[in-house]
Amino acid sequence: MKKIFFLVFLSTVILGACGGFTTGDSDTSSDSGGSEGAEAQDEKIVLDFWTFWGSEQRRPVIDQIITDFNESQDEIEVRHTYTPWGDIWTKNLAAIAAGDPPDVIINDIMTVKLRAEEGQIEPITEYVDEEVTGRFYDQMMDASTHEDEVYALPFNTDTQILFYNKDLFEEAGLDPEQPPETWEELDEYAGQLDVQEGDTYERIGFYPLIGAGTDVWILNALGENYLQEDGEVLVDTEPVHEAFNWILDSQEKYGQSQITSVNSQFENAQQDPFMAGDVAMMVQNANYYVQLRDFTEDLNFGVAPIPEREPGNGNTSWGGGFVAEVPMGASNPEASYEFIEYLTNYDAQLYWAEQNFDLVAHEEAGVSATESGEFTDAGREVYTQMIENMDNTLLTPQPVIAPDYAGTANPIFESIVSGNTDVESGLENAQSELEQLVEDNR
Amino acid sequence: MYNTKKMKFWKSVNLVLLLVGALFMIAPLFWMVSISLKSLEEIYQGGFNFIPENIQFSNYAAVFEIIPFFTYFVNTSMITVLVVLGNVFVNAFIAYGFAKIQFKGRETLFIIVLSTMMLPGFITLIPQYVIYANLGLVNTYYPLVLPAFLGSAFNIFLLRQFFKGVPNSMIEAAKMEGANHFYIFFKIALPMVKPALFTVAIFSFNGVWNDFLGPLLYLNDESLYTLQLGLQVFKEQSSTQWHYLMAGSLMVLFPVIVLFFIFQKYFITGSNILGQTEEK
Repeated sequence: MKKIFFLVFLSTVILGACGGFTTGDSDTSSDSGGSEGAEAQDEKIVLDFWTFWGSEQRRPVIDQIITDFNESQDEIEVRHTYTPWGDIWTKNLAAIAAGDPPDVIINDIMTVKLRAEEGQIEPITEYVDEEVTGRFYDQMMDASTHEDEVYALPFNTDTQILFYNKDLFEEAGLDPEQPPETWEELDEYAGQLDVQEGDTYERIGFYPLIGAGTDVWILNALGENYLQEDGEVLVDTEPVHEAFNWILDSQEKYGQSQITSVNSQFENAQQDPFMAGDVAMMVQNANYYVQLRDFTEDLNFGVAPIPEREPGNGNTSWGGGFVAEVPMGASNPEASYEFIEYLTNYDAQLYWAEQNFDLVAHEEAGVSATESGEFTDAGREVYTQMIENMDNTLLTPQPVIAPDYAGTANPIFESIVSGNTDVESGLENAQSELEQLVEDNR
Repeated sequence: MYNTKKMKFWKSVNLVLLLVGALFMIAPLFWMVSISLKSLEEIYQGGFNFIPENIQFSNYAAVFEIIPFFTYFVNTSMITVLVVLGNVFVNAFIAYGFAKIQFKGRETLFIIVLSTMMLPGFITLIPQYVIYANLGLVNTYYPLVLPAFLGSAFNIFLLRQFFKGVPNSMIEAAKMEGANHFYIFFKIALPMVKPALFTVAIFSFNGVWNDFLGPLLYLNDESLYTLQLGLQVFKEQSSTQWHYLMAGSLMVLFPVIVLFFIFQKYFITGSNILGQTEEK
């Protein structure tokens, strides 16, 4: 018994000596300070770059961009560290608190202002020039700026569009090249696309909350966010009432249980009713195209802007995205910026767009991607729709005045949708709670 | 007195209930196996077919290609072995002291040790990280392994209860023969609390093998990553590669299952021990 333990212990100690228990080697030096890193790497500045892109799809693309950067100059060497999606930011916070952050990180664009306010990002205003800020969609640059200081450069974004099944359109006697343009048309088309068997629907023509959430429809109805940056609350307004009534009418038609079952299929992400033809139209993140491309062989689908509440109201859509930023306390912000600037230049952005079919923040690179030979005809069509849709796309950065406003509003919205609260009193309640929240934070 | 027919009836009812229960328990595992052998296309097509249309063993090979599974396996094993050893022996050593050696302030000290259980781990997370960062130990295994050698209140408490069960007369007798406390600890007390030692070993094995947050925070170098971090590669922002994730998860789960069968006896007594102590 003793011998066994001794052997186990000995072998682990030997194993341990191989790695993991050695401190202060060159791999860690970039954390503890740029100057030490420079010594270890022939006077090169070593930058530690954290992303959550580890998949076989994305990793080779970002690694290629990094290699290109490293070869493009001889002062900086960037090293890529994959860190799990979502948890990467927990890790980043701990690292910032300990004064030991990475040099560049990919982070959420919606919360740049909050991190700026909390002092978690190094401002990069002094390095940025107009050529650089002019690269990106205005709404993305706005979200990366806080109190006249630039804190990050946008990397990629997304937008919500309408996907519809062209074959089912034809089958229902609709013109597959004429997607619905208003909510009213959506309902009309849905009625024609529905397939009803007794009390249940074999096919759902369209239900607003498949794919999209209430927040998208509120945004679409209002044409702006229901909480403005200055704290004004627009929940208890006519367009929002109309949005909820419209959603509830549709829900009444299909029945709560049917919807729940379809949505749960999407949520567990292990089967897809749109691919299966059980849902004819839905509003989704445009990136959904990649799944259609990869997992369906001959699904004949079309894309269109989100229909508007009424003619002239606008096809407002919602987007998010990611930025590259320098965490507070990074050892060499100027070198970090140099890399960020490279990440967001035309070539790198076009390469990213083409290889990943991802909507990039660089406007011109995105436009070039619409003609990319890397995409199929369908791919170019969707990408073009994505680019055009950016004119309608709003970003809703979390306002400093009430960062967690959605946490207050969403439960109320949910209770309206699930029928526990009626629209009138629910929205009135949401309005006053949000106003209170803003008041409390002032 | 006994009605054998009735007995038989209840026995079969029992058996059926157990079978149904076992099915419920094992169904998710079967589902994992099923998904791990499907193509992603088939997964997205949906349907609840347990047997895949095209069985793809290549998913398992793909996991090895996408992540350095073997490296992560060695890393995880190394951390696990050290943590389990530390947890078992250090805590036993401390517990023995609290149970069998009289010294001034023993009870007070014990209460202080126990009171550390009141602090939720998340509260000490960032301060602990800052300490390790100042010591220059971030991006090494020390922050993951060292705490195991510094005692854990719950394990100390558990083992102390067991050491208390070792008769004082035996210890006195050994002392009379000239044995010191080290000798008594290793030769007499430890063998007598073996079930409790296994309990601590098994539970700390489970904890550290499946630990995600610790490696996430402390390891920056991908060559040092553990299996739990490596598996996350298959989960991205908008899509998950379920087939690879399940194949990888099964391979991570495999050693746990093997250990379960080897130490089955102790696993069950272990759970009972935990149940008892928690009730007290």
